[in-house]
Amino acid sequence: MKSEKITLDHGSGGKLTLKLIEEVFKAEHSLDAAILSEIAFTTDSHSIKPLFFKGGDIGKLAISGTVNDLLCVGAKPLYISSAFIIESGFEIEQLKRIADSMKKEAEDANVKIVCGDTKVVENGKCDGVYINTSGIGKIIRAIDGSDIKDGDKVIVSGYIGDHGFAILNERENLGIDAELKSDVANLTDLILPIIESDLKIKIMRDPTRGGLAMCLNELCYSKNFGFEIEESSIPVREEVKVISEILGIEPYYSANEGKMVIVVDKDDAEETLSMLRNNPKGKNAAIIGEVKSELEGKVVLKTAFGSKRILRMPISDKMPRIC
Amino acid sequence: MNLDKFNDPEIVKKIALSIEQEASKIPKTVKIMHICGTHENSIVRFGLRDLLPQNINLIAGPGCPVCVTSSRDIDAIIDLALKENVKILTFGDMLKVPGSRLSFSKAKSMGADIQMIYSIFDAIEIAKDTNKPCIFFACGFETTAAPTAAALLEINLPNNFFIYSVHKYTPNGVYALLKSGKISMDGLILPGHASTISGLKAYERFVNEFSIPSVAAGFEAVDVMLAVLMIIKQINKKEAKIENSYKRVIRYEGNKKALEFLDRVFYLTDALWRGLGEIPESGYELKDEYERMDAKKQFSINYSDSYIEHQKGCRCSDVILGNIIPTECPLFAKRCTPADPIGPCMVSDEGTCKNWFDGGYGEI
Ligand code: SF4
Ligand code: SF4
Repeated sequence: MKSEKITLDHGSGGKLTLKLIEEVFKAEHSLDAAILSEIAFTTDSHSIKPLFFKGGDIGKLAISGTVNDLLCVGAKPLYISSAFIIESGFEIEQLKRIADSMKKEAEDANVKIVCGDTKVVENGKCDGVYINTSGIGKIIRAIDGSDIKDGDKVIVSGYIGDHGFAILNERENLGIDAELKSDVANLTDLILPIIESDLKIKIMRDPTRGGLAMCLNELCYSKNFGFEIEESSIPVREEVKVISEILGIEPYYSANEGKMVIVVDKDDAEETLSMLRNNPKGKNAAIIGEVKSELEGKVVLKTAFGSKRILRMPISDKMPRIC
Repeated sequence: MNLDKFNDPEIVKKIALSIEQEASKIPKTVKIMHICGTHENSIVRFGLRDLLPQNINLIAGPGCPVCVTSSRDIDAIIDLALKENVKILTFGDMLKVPGSRLSFSKAKSMGADIQMIYSIFDAIEIAKDTNKPCIFFACGFETTAAPTAAALLEINLPNNFFIYSVHKYTPNGVYALLKSGKISMDGLILPGHASTISGLKAYERFVNEFSIPSVAAGFEAVDVMLAVLMIIKQINKKEAKIENSYKRVIRYEGNKKALEFLDRVFYLTDALWRGLGEIPESGYELKDEYERMDAKKQFSINYSDSYIEHQKGCRCSDVILGNIIPTECPLFAKRCTPADPIGPCMVSDEGTCKNWFDGGYGEI
């Protein structure tokens, strides 16, 4: 790694995060959760500013993030641990709100929070609260992307980009008066039935940091297939389109916390889609493209005008344009 | 506003067809330049070059405010930040631009207090929370200079707040380049955002002196395609005038209030543009009345004579002038990527090289 120090970009979930995982942690970059014979195991740390935002809070985020990571690999989420790092001076009242919200989300996702840990650090050493959650799930069937082939369809379970833009709008006081809220949610009731079905699901991934662009790129990163995505099929909320225009950041780079990208055999695509659409969390699901082996590790976006371009893996967090 | 009709594929295809018909009447290659980073972004995003006939060459000019900020200024501020107890506030993209030795973000990891902000208003809020002198490194064209001026006039700035202006005025910059013969083109797409401030009036003398068909355009696919069509039509008619395809936003006179603010706060002076040298009357400098906030006057700033605008091998100045396309730079996508940019054009989403890299030109 050329620069000797960690920069914020190393945590943005983009290409530099990937490099860190490969070169420093020497971990094989694989799935969101480890598949260990019968069980799946995952861990994630959460820091977010502001802690409470439209549509959720850090607690809800911590639980749903872990639940969704387990679902990705075909597991039924069961148990979660939660470790808090709290800044001294933090209001207990706020901590209660966070804990309550975790409890509620866990109930909704049908998982149990079974153990935890609390550390307090000096004032100013962390942004209020950091939460680490680990989760264990029971493998229903391992979904690991081993049998992806040409023509498989790519489905996204709903509108893209809500979380990232909602947070940016609130955190930076962009003052964009939009009814925009984070999509943070656990997807147990949406995805578990799909895992339990016999639909030929090839791989799943929740497009969190780095957004849809990162997610699709990661899925085909140094593989012998790529994706061709139909830009006009990607579901994007009207408000998000407007914010995206104003900031000059495409919705594909904006984070999602309650969405799933599913690659499924083309024969099962329609059925998967209708299962998703029958659930309120998936009512805006859409088939957005397909697997193409000739694209080898690339995500190609086809515009409505018939032109094509690459949808690149983000390098760092996208910046609003200067003017 | 409903943006959909400005991205309606049917309309875009129709315009593309008309462009083809008009272009077939021109026996040579036509070079149409835009001077706006956001236009380049749209062109790449919508893949518009794919839709143009062979003899229509759509190229990017000096349109990114980050790209044209001189290393001399970046070096000087980094120097100050490393030596003195000050806080530097600037836009995210600016952080990664390489100066002669360091970028802001590298200086930051060496201990300089440098923070990213989204607007001057953030910067002011941050200054209120500290006693430390806070210097806003103010880059950008008139679109960004106008809010700087407005903030100065309308907000009670904290005493520890200072401005280091590297704001630039687009029309004079491009005018000087045309005059010098460094850039050439058969048609010009006038910037969308900047023109809302300066107005189209500011470009009138281009057309008169250099006979360049010029059309102001917005940022949707229809906008850009329409501007191309209007330019080619002018060429075919042997005309050269200013037209406005972005009437929903741009006015001939510009934004009078913003212009008045700019005029009250700044005066225009010779300014260094990165890789392009000094350009007369193209930089916004704070007037004497604002001496109190002028970082250039309140701090001892050392300018080195030996600053490096572009690293060895970097062809940014040729890219900015539209002389080469990014893929012609030997470093493109090899040694120079957005993760580790060698030149400024690879940094911001308005930079030509960054756009080309992101869009994967030549890879599909
Ligand atoms: S109009 Fe705005 S977006 Fe375009 S180049 Fe000028 S400053 Fe940048
Ligand atoms: S590819 Fe990099 S080095 Fe080459 S011109 Fe562009 S920014 Fe400069």
